[in-house]
Amino acid sequence: MSPLGPLILAAFLFCVGVYGIIARRNAVLVLMSVELMLNAVNINLVAFNNITHQGDPLVSGQVFALFVIAIAAAEVGVGLAIVLNMFRNRASIDVDDVDLMRW
Amino acid sequence: MEQLLDYAWLVVALPFAAAVLIGAFGKLMPLKGSEIGIAAVFVAWLISLGIGGYTFVNGPIEAVESSLTWAPMGSGFEIQLGQYVDGLTAMMLVLVTTVSLGVQLYSREYMHGEERFTYFFAMLSLFTFSMLVLVVANNTLQAVVGWELVGLCSFLLIGFYWHEKPNQDAANKAFLTTKFADIGLIVGVIVLSAGVAQTGSSTPFDIETTIDAAMGGELSTATIVLGCLMIFLGAVGKSGQMPLHVWLPDAMAGPTPVSALIHAATMVTAGVFLVARLYPVFAQSLVVMNTVAIVGVITLFFAGFVALVQDDIKKVLAYSTVSQLGYMMAALGVGGYTAGIFHLFTHGFFKALLFLGSGSLIHAVHSNNMSDMGGMRKYMPWTFATFIIGSLALAGFPLTAGFFSKDEVLVAAQIWGDAGFTMGTVVFWLGLAGAAVTTFYMARACFLIFFGEHRGVHHAAVPTHDEHADEHTVVEHAVEAEEAEAAAHDHAGAVSSTDGHDVHHGSPHESGWQILVPLVMLAVLSFPVGFAGGFLWDEVGGSTERNFETWTATHDIEETTYPFAAAAEAGAEGGEAEEGHALAGADGEVLAAGALAAEGGEEHGESLHVLHGAPEFHLDVFVYALIAFLVAVGGAWVIYGRGMPARDPTFRLGPVTTLLVNKYYFDDLGYRFVVVPVRDKLSPAASWTSNVVIDGIVKRVGGAAKRLGAVTYTTLDQKVIDGGINGAAFSAAWWSDKLRRIQSGDVQRYAGALLAGTIVLVLVFSAAR
Repeated sequence: MSPLGPLILAAFLFCVGVYGIIARRNAVLVLMSVELMLNAVNINLVAFNNITHQGDPLVSGQVFALFVIAIAAAEVGVGLAIVLNMFRNRASIDVDDVDLMRW
Repeated sequence: MEQLLDYAWLVVALPFAAAVLIGAFGKLMPLKGSEIGIAAVFVAWLISLGIGGYTFVNGPIEAVESSLTWAPMGSGFEIQLGQYVDGLTAMMLVLVTTVSLGVQLYSREYMHGEERFTYFFAMLSLFTFSMLVLVVANNTLQAVVGWELVGLCSFLLIGFYWHEKPNQDAANKAFLTTKFADIGLIVGVIVLSAGVAQTGSSTPFDIETTIDAAMGGELSTATIVLGCLMIFLGAVGKSGQMPLHVWLPDAMAGPTPVSALIHAATMVTAGVFLVARLYPVFAQSLVVMNTVAIVGVITLFFAGFVALVQDDIKKVLAYSTVSQLGYMMAALGVGGYTAGIFHLFTHGFFKALLFLGSGSLIHAVHSNNMSDMGGMRKYMPWTFATFIIGSLALAGFPLTAGFFSKDEVLVAAQIWGDAGFTMGTVVFWLGLAGAAVTTFYMARACFLIFFGEHRGVHHAAVPTHDEHADEHTVVEHAVEAEEAEAAAHDHAGAVSSTDGHDVHHGSPHESGWQILVPLVMLAVLSFPVGFAGGFLWDEVGGSTERNFETWTATHDIEETTYPFAAAAEAGAEGGEAEEGHALAGADGEVLAAGALAAEGGEEHGESLHVLHGAPEFHLDVFVYALIAFLVAVGGAWVIYGRGMPARDPTFRLGPVTTLLVNKYYFDDLGYRFVVVPVRDKLSPAASWTSNVVIDGIVKRVGGAAKRLGAVTYTTLDQKVIDGGINGAAFSAAWWSDKLRRIQSGDVQRYAGALLAGTIVLVLVFSAAR
C-alpha cells in the first residue's frame, strides 16, 4: 500500500486544525481543532512506523499514538473545564473576549 | 682642640635653643627666662673661646668647612647649610658671644621690672643666633638668611617700646633703609653665583668656591664689579655708611643694651664682615676697592662732626659708631684687610663698653641728655672709670685698643698711598682728621658728663640747639620729639627699677653689680685685644708668628693679589720719579717685600699682596695721631673743662652748626626726595596700578571665565549632554510605546505568529541546506 495516502490525509487534517485554531472564535471549536491536529500526528506516527519499521514486532508508532490519544483525552478534559469556567464568568466562549493578559 | 672647630655650629644652635626655650617657658622660670639666655650664651662663649684660642695658636689655619644639603635643586646643584670656620669666623664668634654675654648680664638689671622682660631676652638670644648664622655661613645664601634675620631682630628690638609712635617710626626706618640695601645684597649674591655657576661649579653660592673662582680669574670683570658693588650696597645699609646711615642714630630709640649689642658691636659690623669675608673677590677690581674706600672715608669724616652738636649721649655714640664703621670700610678699601677687621674687633669691645656705660648713666640720671648730667665722677666712680677707658680707646690714646687698631688703619692707608694709589693718601689724612674729631667729641662728652657740677634733670628744658633750628622742617621736629620720647622711655624703665624712692630730686647713685661686671669686663678687655694686633705684641710676650694678623688671615687671603696693582705701578713709574722711589725700582719688589706682604721674598712684583704682614710701627703716623689726640683733648678741656658753657661753641659756628644740627640734611633730603615722592607719587601710583590695572585684569579674567562658564552651561551641558541623555530616554519610551502593542493578549495572534515563525525557520533552514 502506498504511504502517500495516509500522509496526505494527515497533512490535510493538520492544516484544517491550524486554520481552526487561528480563525475560529468559538473556544470549543478551537479545542476541536487541536484534537484534529493531534489526530493528524497520530496518523503520521502509524504511517511512518509502517513505512520505516515494516514488520517490527514492537510497533512503537502505534504505541506512541495510543499515548497521544490518552494525553489528548486529558487535555480536552482540562480544556473543556477552562471553557466551562470561562462561560460561567463571562457568559461567552469567544476567545477574542479573553484578552486580560495584554498591555 | 681641633675637633672643637667641627662643633662651631653649637655656638650658633645654643642661642637659638635659648630663644625658643625662653619664648616657650621663660615666664615660668624663677628669673623670667634670663637665666636660660645667659647660660646658653655662656656655654657658646666658652666654645668660642676654645675655637678662638685654637685658631690663634695655630693660625693661619686652613678653613674647616662642613655642610649638609639644605635643598637639592636638581641637575647637581644644591643649596647648602654649613659652617666655615677660619680665623675670621673665630674672631667674630669671640666678639659676638663676648658682647652678647655682657649685654645679657647687664640687661638683667637694666631691664628689671619691664613688662616684656622675657620677650626682651628671647629677642636678644634670637639676635645672637642670627648674627652667628651669618658669621659661620659657608655660602652666601646662608649669609643672606642670617643677614635678614639680623635685620628682623633689629626691627623688633628698636621697636621694643612700640607703644610710642616715634619708636615705631625708628624701627620702620631702620627696617626699610636696610631692606632697601638688602636688595643690593641679594642681587650681588645672585650675580656672583651666576658667574660661579658658569665655571661648572655645583655649589655656586659657596664662599670658598667663589673666592677660588675670583682668584683664578674665572670670573669676568663685569661679574666681579657688579656683584661686589651690589653686595657693598647691602653692606652700606647694614653697616651704616653714608648715605644710608640715617637709620642708625634713630635706632637709639631702642633700649640701651640693644644699642650696645646691635648698633655698636655686632649687627652693624655685619657689612664690614661680609666685605672682609669676600675680600679676595673685592680685591680683584680697583673700581670696587675705590668705591669702598670713598664711601668709607666720606662716612668716617663727616659722621664725626654731627656728634659734636648732639646733646643726647646715645646720639653722640651713634654718630661715633657710624664714623668708626667708616674707618673699617675705608681700611678695607685701601687694602688694609687686617686693619679693617682689627678695628672691627677692638671697636666692638670699647663701643659696647661705651654704650653700656651710657646706659648706666641714663639709668642713674633718668635722662639721655648730657646737659642733665655733669659731675657724675663723684656719684658713679666705676662707671666713670670704665667710661673713660672706653673713651680713651675710642679716641686712640696710646696703648689702648683703639690706638693700635686706628694706627693700623692709618698705616695701611699710608702704605697704599705710597704704592701710588691716591685713595690711600686721602684716607690717611682724612682718617687723621677724623681721629681728631673723634677725640674732640668724646672729650666733650666726658667733660660734660663727669666734670663740673651735677645739673640734674629739668624736664622743661629746651634742647640748647633749638634756637638755631628755627628753620627746621617737620622731619627735624619729629626727630626731636623722638629723642625726647626715647629719653622718657629710658626714664620710665629706670623708675620702675629703683624700688620707688624719689629719683627726681635724689642724687644719682652707682648702678648694681650686674651692670658693673660687664662694664669692668669690657673695660679690661679694651687693652689686651689691642695688644694682640699691635706692634708692641712682641714686647709684651707675644710672638710675631702668633698675632691678630696670623689669626684672621686665611690661605686665600695670603694668596690674594691685586691684579690692578701692576698697571697702577707702571703708570706711577711713568708719571713721577718720586713715586718710582716709593716703588723701589722697576719691578716693585722692594715695596712688596718690605711693606705689603709677609712673605715678601717670594714676590715677583706682578701685583701687590693683601696687607697682612706683621704689625708695623710707623713713627710719623704715631706722632701725627698723638698730636691730633693732644690737640683735640686740649681744645675740649679749654672749652668744656669747667663745666658746661652757657653757649656751646659748637653751636656758634653759624651755617656749619645749622648744617650739623640738621645732620647734613640727610633726613630732610630723604624725607623730601624719598619719603614724600614714595608717599605722594609712588604709593598712589602703585595703589592705582593695584586697584585699577591689576584688579581690572583680575576682574576681566574673572568675567571672561564666568561668561565661558555660562556658555559651556547652556550649550555643552544643557544641550549636548542633557540632550543626549534625554534623547536616549525619550527614544526608549517612544519605542517601547510602539513595541508594547505586540503584546495584544490575543492568543490566536500568538499562534499565528508561532506558525509564521516556524514556516520562516523551516524555509530558512531548508534553503541553507
